[in-house]
Amino acid sequence: MLRFTIRRLLVTIPMILVVITLTWGLIRLAPGNFYSGEKKIPKAVEKNIREKYGLNKPWYVQYGRTMGHIVRLDFGDSLKYQGQSVNTIIARSLPVSATVGILAYLLALIVGITVGSIAALKQNSRWDYTSMALAMLGISIPNFVLGPLLVLLFSLALYWLPPSRWSGFPSRSVVLPVLTLSAIYMAYIARLTRAGMLEVLRSDYIRTARAKGLRERDVVIRHALRGGIMPVVSFTGPALAFLLTGTVVVERIFALPGLGNYFIQASLNRDEPLILGIVAFIAMTLLIMNLLVDIAYAFLDPRIRY
Amino acid sequence: MFELTLKQITSLIVLFAFALAGVSCKSAQSEVFFGKTRPPDRNVLHYYTGDEPESLDPQVSSGQPEGRIYMALFEGLVEYDPKDMHPIPAIAERWDINDDFSEFVFHLRKNARWSNGDPINANDFVYTFRRGLSPKLASRNAGFGYYLRYGEAYNQGAVFVRDASNHFLLEKDFASEGNASQQLSQKLSTPAQSGNKPTAQGSTPERDTPFHQFIHSPARLTLPGDEKTRNQLLAKDAKLKVAVAGKEFVDVKAEDIGVEAVDDYTLRLSLRQSAPFFLGLLANQFFRLVPRTAVNTHGEQWTTPGHIVTCGPFKLKSWKPYNELDVERDPMYWDSANVHLDEIDFYPLVDLPTAMNLYKVGELDAVSNHTVPNPWVDVVRQKKDYMIAPEAASIYIHINTTKPPMNDVRVRKAFNMAIDKDNWIKWRKIVKPLDGIMPEGIFSGYPYPNGDRFDAEKARQLLAQAGYPVTKKGDGSYECPTFPVDQVEYTFPTASTNKTMAEFMQAQWKQNLGITISLRSMEFKTFIAYRANLEYKGMAFGAFSADYLDPYTFSSIFYTPTGDNGTGWWDQKYVDMLDEANTLPAPRRFELLARAEQLMIDAQPIIPIETGAVNWTKKPYVKGLYPNAGSLFAWKYVYIERDPSKWDYSTPTLTN
Amino acid sequence: MEDERPIIHTDPEFAVAEADVRVIEGSGTLIGTSLWRDAWRRLLKNKLAVFGLIVVITITVVSLIGPLIIKAATGYTYDFIPNNVVLIKSMPPLTGPDGSFSWAHPMGTDNSGRDLLARVLLGGRISLMVGIISTMVSLIIGISYGAVAGYLGGRIDNLMMRLVDVLYSLPYIILVIVLLAMFRSKTPVGQLVLLFIALGSVSWLTMARIVRGQVLSLKNQEFVLAARATGVSTTRIIFRHLVPNTLGPVIVYATLTIPSVMLTEAFLSFLGFGVQPPLASWGSLAADGIQSIAIFPWQLIFPGVTMALTLFSLNFLGDGLRDALDPQMRKA
Repeated sequence: MLRFTIRRLLVTIPMILVVITLTWGLIRLAPGNFYSGEKKIPKAVEKNIREKYGLNKPWYVQYGRTMGHIVRLDFGDSLKYQGQSVNTIIARSLPVSATVGILAYLLALIVGITVGSIAALKQNSRWDYTSMALAMLGISIPNFVLGPLLVLLFSLALYWLPPSRWSGFPSRSVVLPVLTLSAIYMAYIARLTRAGMLEVLRSDYIRTARAKGLRERDVVIRHALRGGIMPVVSFTGPALAFLLTGTVVVERIFALPGLGNYFIQASLNRDEPLILGIVAFIAMTLLIMNLLVDIAYAFLDPRIRY
Repeated sequence: MFELTLKQITSLIVLFAFALAGVSCKSAQSEVFFGKTRPPDRNVLHYYTGDEPESLDPQVSSGQPEGRIYMALFEGLVEYDPKDMHPIPAIAERWDINDDFSEFVFHLRKNARWSNGDPINANDFVYTFRRGLSPKLASRNAGFGYYLRYGEAYNQGAVFVRDASNHFLLEKDFASEGNASQQLSQKLSTPAQSGNKPTAQGSTPERDTPFHQFIHSPARLTLPGDEKTRNQLLAKDAKLKVAVAGKEFVDVKAEDIGVEAVDDYTLRLSLRQSAPFFLGLLANQFFRLVPRTAVNTHGEQWTTPGHIVTCGPFKLKSWKPYNELDVERDPMYWDSANVHLDEIDFYPLVDLPTAMNLYKVGELDAVSNHTVPNPWVDVVRQKKDYMIAPEAASIYIHINTTKPPMNDVRVRKAFNMAIDKDNWIKWRKIVKPLDGIMPEGIFSGYPYPNGDRFDAEKARQLLAQAGYPVTKKGDGSYECPTFPVDQVEYTFPTASTNKTMAEFMQAQWKQNLGITISLRSMEFKTFIAYRANLEYKGMAFGAFSADYLDPYTFSSIFYTPTGDNGTGWWDQKYVDMLDEANTLPAPRRFELLARAEQLMIDAQPIIPIETGAVNWTKKPYVKGLYPNAGSLFAWKYVYIERDPSKWDYSTPTLTN
Repeated sequence: MEDERPIIHTDPEFAVAEADVRVIEGSGTLIGTSLWRDAWRRLLKNKLAVFGLIVVITITVVSLIGPLIIKAATGYTYDFIPNNVVLIKSMPPLTGPDGSFSWAHPMGTDNSGRDLLARVLLGGRISLMVGIISTMVSLIIGISYGAVAGYLGGRIDNLMMRLVDVLYSLPYIILVIVLLAMFRSKTPVGQLVLLFIALGSVSWLTMARIVRGQVLSLKNQEFVLAARATGVSTTRIIFRHLVPNTLGPVIVYATLTIPSVMLTEAFLSFLGFGVQPPLASWGSLAADGIQSIAIFPWQLIFPGVTMALTLFSLNFLGDGLRDALDPQMRKA
């Protein structure tokens, strides 16, 4: 297990560098640059700008310099937000995204696993059909449709919740973004749990447990659930990818000052240091989370050995 | 059972969607106000003023969004009256103006204090004005300080010319026809013309000081500080070159500016020209006090929450960048007893619908000017919390008078008369017509001149006279084959309202003159440079908002051929009229300014389109916030009214 | 467990399992039925899947023909802005400019007075087209890659699959966003092509894995040995013999990929990186609609509900297909 972890970690670092390199390459290959828009800049001014940012050196020198800074976790200052270092911006916006993301996923886990398990236990009942149809709905409604609809109802019509803006963690402004973000996971997790539970409930060791005379509740919670949520655990990998795109949309809709919003703005502004910083951060998070998922998988299923 | 569930769900969803649509449509129409109207629990105003402020330094940012924040934190000599924005006493209790409006003496109140308790005196103003004009700060609003004598010279890094016997070359000896700076009154200012009640009672004229003598001596000649530019200038003027030879160049220093602390509570400002409007200009953010100790100790970081020191009715409570900026009542403020609000929370937001949604739900109590997005105006102006009032802003079309065919005044007049502006005004609904450059209904007592009426036939005749005959085709439409359409296009900054206006004008010219003018849109900053440098072909969009509430702010657009002018039109007669008008007392001044405006209208360097209107909403329980012409608010007068019978059930009146 | 019933190959191209053989009593003949016909029968039994299929077909047909009908009947197209400035405003569904009832705009108009129904249908065309073409791109790449890897086996397979693993762990969507942000095409068509490539390159990985898995298990079957023995070239074996047998899982995955790709495209257009004006997709329509949701909610509701309905149906269809083809499919 330990060897596996270390091996994976060793692979992760080059992976992150590859991602950063690819991003850097895309930014540099693209036509145009960050300091001009449509206007023609006088030659002298352009020369000064290029000198200031070291753009007049050959590309491999620039690449080397950038990467050299990055491995020291120095991403430099944002080009658009004058005087603010990339690290400051990430530090400021990360808590927002993290809070919304974690709360959304927790909510999805709790609701999804519960609903899915009950659906599996009561297979082919009214509850089963209804909840699975609703789950299908959850997968099919894009979050940028669901979010505004929720805003329309609970905010603009009923005045219960704010329509946008972030007012800190325990506040009403958390509710709608978390609900919007978690909807699709709730749906997937419910379906996966149901499928996984159905599979497990048919298996031998459950029959044994029941034959032993255990209460149904214990059978489910202590034995079946562990195996039943395996698909959910392995779903966490792709779920994180979803989380990323979902967060970007939710932050857009609700005007949250999170990483996703900054990333989109940075991409539109060609703010290279900020783009690289956020990309590096996200890549690192994703890869580490994937590693954790694989470890969790091993803990949950004694049959798996690395 | 399967199908039942499925059908149930599908129909439920569809029903839900339509119900949602129906409910929200209906509820939007039946409410009197736009959204929830419950006053906030605490005595706090939640306001939207624009995007994240660039800086909290009042001399750095020239924008209005920041300006409103500065008005909470900093004060100056005078403040804008909440209703009509005329200058009312702030840190200055009263003032004296000399007979030709070239010198202002301010008597400061003795109990004004900074937020850290330090007393405020005249030296603070001297420091502030000098700092504002310093070339190192490079303030974008420095131009306002140019009215002070030698203000422009100092800011541009110019030099005096001094000879061996310590005499400086004088401007009047080298003045060419149009360059003579006014022969200003040598008389010291007396209390003969005092501003605002209470009037000063027969005190003696202010002391004369060595500095005052210097400032009132004939103006010294200034030359560019940069050697290359200076040599270019000297090369063109032989007399100047000879006079300058062998003499020393002395930098114009901050101490040379026409600002003087006569004593701790008396401030004297000496201008380089007559400027009766200058008093109103002094309320601008550029002239608000900046704390000398904080700036000297912390440099650029002086505006951070730990370091900042303020002098306005409110002080900084907290600043979460891109999220919220809170200011709270400052007990050290000299008039703190009369400040009604406990706190103002500014929310920086990037787009307008977000702001309006927050307003609807009650998270914002008021929004700033032009926050209601164009497509919303039709719906929102039905509500009682929408402000209906004129704005000191004019929308017009610049014409590049330097290139043919637009260099012919007949062509310009033809294009002006070919537009049915009434139709445009009717569609826009909230704006008023514009005849010249002065926005209508703003300056009371100003005799607005008349412009040309819509007359398509006359327009076609004028075009024919200019050499571009318009012929009628079989189907009733017109054509003008000889007109050089490749020399004329209409350029505008990218924004949907501008595009609609562009398309409307294009349709009018096509319909009435038979000429199809092509349209071109451009990113805003690029557009501004493009237009200012007269690079555009034919016509370009123009909009101007008043810097201060006096007609001169609009008249002065055409004072020089560069800068805000953007048309290349310049007339010495016009400039002379303006200079003379500034020396005259009130009613005659307006008359002369109006005559100058008529001169401009006759020359037609612009096509006037509309007078702006304010476009914002405030909750009925917010009082003391008036839709004045400049949308700048003295926050100390704003309060939250909790008794619904005293709420504003329509736009509050602006007259006293 | 010993298998008692005989396996009958009705067609050398298709391997058939026992369950598909129906014995017709009395005639003494064994009539085989193909995989596809049986799957189709199973699919039809699944009411939800049928519902999905009908809705998808309806929406596709309406998106294709609808705009033409609308244009013929009323002259409205997705980019038609009325000349009369009075009409340049957002009108509620089935309402005229003065508030009275009118059939002119069943879904209302957007802020520029453009008919919303025409725009939603255009959105349908674009979204479906992007979904299908991008999926096909990923199909082509994925199938070729997976089949080659699976058949060749050994070191090459190892290497190719390792590459897939590496690519799999890249945060794709970030790179796609950066790509689309940096390389903005000047023409709307160019932007679409860029989208096809970008979106197609996201989903081929799983397809490759699935196909490789299938090929691995099929390549030792008799018909492959037979083909090799008769001297058929490797390429032909891969593409004419093996690939068609993988079609089952491939179709299922493709049907599930289409909605996923459509969702990704909508998300990109919503952020402004996808379809550019004057074209519109459901995602960009939603983005526009959200701007005025406080007072003109129909601008969001109609494109949103339409998209949800389409995805809903596609998902049901995909589920149904997977169930229908299930006995043949091994888990990928």
